[in-house]
This record gives sequence, C-alpha cells and structure tokens, in this order.
Amino acid sequence: MTSRDEITRDSQPRECPPDVDLDRVWLGVAAQVWSRGPGRAERLAARALRSPGLARALVCTPSLLLGWVIASAVVLAAGTFATLGTGTPYVALFAPAVAGAGIAYAYGPGIDPAWELSQSMAVSDRMVLLVRVLAVFAVNAALGLTASAASGAAAAVTFGWLVPMTAVSALTLAAATVTRSPVAGAATGLAAWAITVLSVHSAAGQVTAAVSSPSLVLPYLAVAVAGSVIAWLATGRQKGTS
Amino acid sequence: MNVEISDVTRRFGRTQAVAGVSLRTGPGVFGLLGPNGAGKTTLLRMMATVVPPNSGQVRLLGRDPGGYGPRKEIRRRLGYLPQNLGYYPGFTVAQFVEYFALLKEMPPGRVPEAVATAIERVDLGGKARAKLRTLSGGMLRRAGIAQAIVNEPELLLLDEPTAGLDPEQRVAFRGLLRDLGEKATVIVSTHLVEDVGAACAQVALMNDGKIVFQGTPGELTARGEGTGAAGDAPLERGYSAVLAAARSARSGRPAGTAGTAA
Repeated sequence: MTSRDEITRDSQPRECPPDVDLDRVWLGVAAQVWSRGPGRAERLAARALRSPGLARALVCTPSLLLGWVIASAVVLAAGTFATLGTGTPYVALFAPAVAGAGIAYAYGPGIDPAWELSQSMAVSDRMVLLVRVLAVFAVNAALGLTASAASGAAAAVTFGWLVPMTAVSALTLAAATVTRSPVAGAATGLAAWAITVLSVHSAAGQVTAAVSSPSLVLPYLAVAVAGSVIAWLATGRQKGTS
Repeated sequence: MNVEISDVTRRFGRTQAVAGVSLRTGPGVFGLLGPNGAGKTTLLRMMATVVPPNSGQVRLLGRDPGGYGPRKEIRRRLGYLPQNLGYYPGFTVAQFVEYFALLKEMPPGRVPEAVATAIERVDLGGKARAKLRTLSGGMLRRAGIAQAIVNEPELLLLDEPTAGLDPEQRVAFRGLLRDLGEKATVIVSTHLVEDVGAACAQVALMNDGKIVFQGTPGELTARGEGTGAAGDAPLERGYSAVLAAARSARSGRPAGTAGTAA
C-alpha cells in the first residue's frame, strides 16, 4: 500500500468534488514533503557553478567521505615518513599527482557505487570529480592560510603543499571546462605540475624548489584564482550553448 | 528512429562482447533476449553512452553520441537502469531519484514533482523517505527504475529490470512498460522470456555477440512450433529453437546435438 493510498483512504472527504484530481493533489503534496531542498551551501555552489546538478554532487555524497579520509590519511602518513626519513618534502612534491590519481580511483568504478549510472548522466562524472577536487583543496588551502597566521609550521605546509595543489586543481578544472574534456583537463593539470617541478629544478638546481621557494606562492595563488574564474566563465558559456 | 545501430562491435581484451550488431527501432517496447554472456548488457551500455563501440555507427535520438554536445543532449533525454544498480546507501529513495534528476540537468523547478511522480509510478510512495540501505532487493530495483524514468526519457534502457521483483510487482511493471512505450523507445534486456511476451512489441535475440533473431514475440513463438525445442511456454520454445539453430550453425552440428538450454 502506498502513502497515496493511505492519504486517499484516510482523508478523502465524502463530499470531495468530482473534478478534484486526488492523484494530482497528492503528487503536489509529495513533491513538497519528499524534496530534500538545497541548503545554503548547495544554493551558493549552484550559483557559483551555474549547475544545480554539480552543486548537488558536490555537497551530497556523504557515503564517500570515508574513502576521502582514508586516502588523505594514507598519503599524508606515507609522505610524512618519507619526508622525515630523507629530509626531502616528498609530500609536497608528489601530493598533487598522488591526490589526483587517488581521488580518480575513489570515484571510479572500484569504489563509487553509482559510477555506472553517473557515466550516463548529462553532468559529466569527471566534471563532478574535478569540482570536488578543487573544492576540497581550496577549503584545505583556506584553512591552512588561516592557521598560518598562528604557526610557522602550518605556513610551510600551506604554502609548500596546499596552495600548489589548489593551483593545479584550478588549472585542471579550467582546462576541462574550456576544452569540454575532463581527460584533457586532467592531462593539462598533471603536465603543468610536472613541467613546473622540472623547470624550477633546472633553474634553481634543487629538486624541491617548486615547493620550497617562497617566490612561487604568489604565482600559485594567481593560477588558482585565474583557473577558478576561467572555469566559472567557461561553465556559464557551456550552459548557454549546449 | 530513436535508435539506429549499424554493424557495431565492442571488444574487452580478448573477449568479443558485441560482434557486428545492427538495430533500428522507434517508439515502443523492444525486448532484448539472450542467454548470459550473449552481449545484451554491453549493447545496452553502448546505447546508454557508457562505453563507445570499437567500430560501427550508433545514432541515438537522431544524434551521434561520439560528440560532446550531442552526447550531452542524448543523456538529458535518456533513462538507464544498469544491471548492477549502484547507490549511495545513506540516501533516501527521494534523495536518490532527485540526485539523478539534477545530474540529468532537469530544470530544478520541475524536479520535486517529477521525483514524486516517478516514485509513485513504481509504487514506492510508502518508502520515499526510507534510506536505501533499508530496502529489499525488489524495492531497490524499483528505486532504480524511478531514477531512470524521472526525466520522462525519450529513450529508456532497462537491464534486467524485473530481477528481484515479486510476481505482483512484475505484472505491475509490465503495465508501466507498456505505458512508457507509448511515447518513448523502451529497450528491455532480460533473460526472462515471459516478460518479453507480455510487454514487448518487438524482440531481438542475441547469442555470442550477434543478433540471431529479430521480429515480434508471435514470430519468435512460431519458430518453436513443431521443433520439439525445450520450454514450458510457446515463446520459450521459440527462444530455445532459435538459440539451438544459432548454436548448431556456429558449431556445424545439427540443432538436436548442439543443445537447447538457454
């Protein structure tokens, strides 16, 4: 027995006018009662991304939270041990690439339960992934910047790791939206990071210069902001033309 | 024609899942029959734009899914129920259907009523606010069907939709299929012959990645008459007879020795 049947049986008055479509009335009620309704964060995201679907995907997959936490903890722990053992900041150097691969796996067919369905959706599953990546790194970077005001150690982590990761994520997202290809976006981001590491290394003579040179923080922040703006503009353009 | 497929192939490693399939169909309910491993799911996944073909032409709803823009347009008008429905266990039925309505880029203002309508059509109104992890297999299947039909798709692809449904639900579902097929092209992949007989106007039978029969359920039934093929119902005997003939043609042995089990 459905809830409609219950309502109909329990509440239908004997004098119900014959021209009243109770099915229709019930659907109107159910639509209001069952709808989740976007919260403030989702409304903000929908406005910024110009896509209610992307916004819902961004704020609404709590069942994947454990995967995120485990992946982050493993990467952090392994990187920290490697860094402490060698004195080289491997976390900062490899985190953008490792995080990208890890997150892609987390939302791939192995772990994301709805992966097959997501593949057939108008909102590209990889665009959803890229937006999530950017959101997570941007939030981390913002928290790190706040913590940096109080702690020098936090500043080192923030500027050497989180800010570059945010920049790579933003660049990836921008390339993906402009080219309309998440694959091209991911390739652009990873290639850009590899080129940055290698070119700064050859200029400074240090493998870790890309994540330890204070002079690069502003360019990273500029790339992060520019990438976000380009992605935002490109998403708007796509919406109107596709 | 909403589906125009011409000589399509798809290979996974050394396995040839689909080997030169051609298919054209317009509005109505189309049944895709065949034994396990025949290639039904792969063909359906290609139509759902989940996997591209290795060769051949696919046009869906008059568009080529190979391009980003046309593919997106197709996906807005597509409903898809995969064989293995993945879901987020913490979502309620309504949240689940709403989530995919938004990912299909339905206008947000239309979503709540469309969600309510879809949930009621699969008779899950009483469970709309229940978490997916608390539902039975049949209810989960119906939640999957609800997300597939929430956007009133022009092309609806259902892979084993009646798996886990009890007999009463299956009868109700066939009615829903016929209803949906009045406007949309509904393609149902199944190995349950009786579902096809009850709901489909056209049927194709696949074996070893190829379509070995295409016609009406009545024509499939006629193939089994007087053959002594296995089956409890006339349509099942037609199914067995066609399959046996296809297998014997492949092996070069007479149909009687090639086996008729589906």
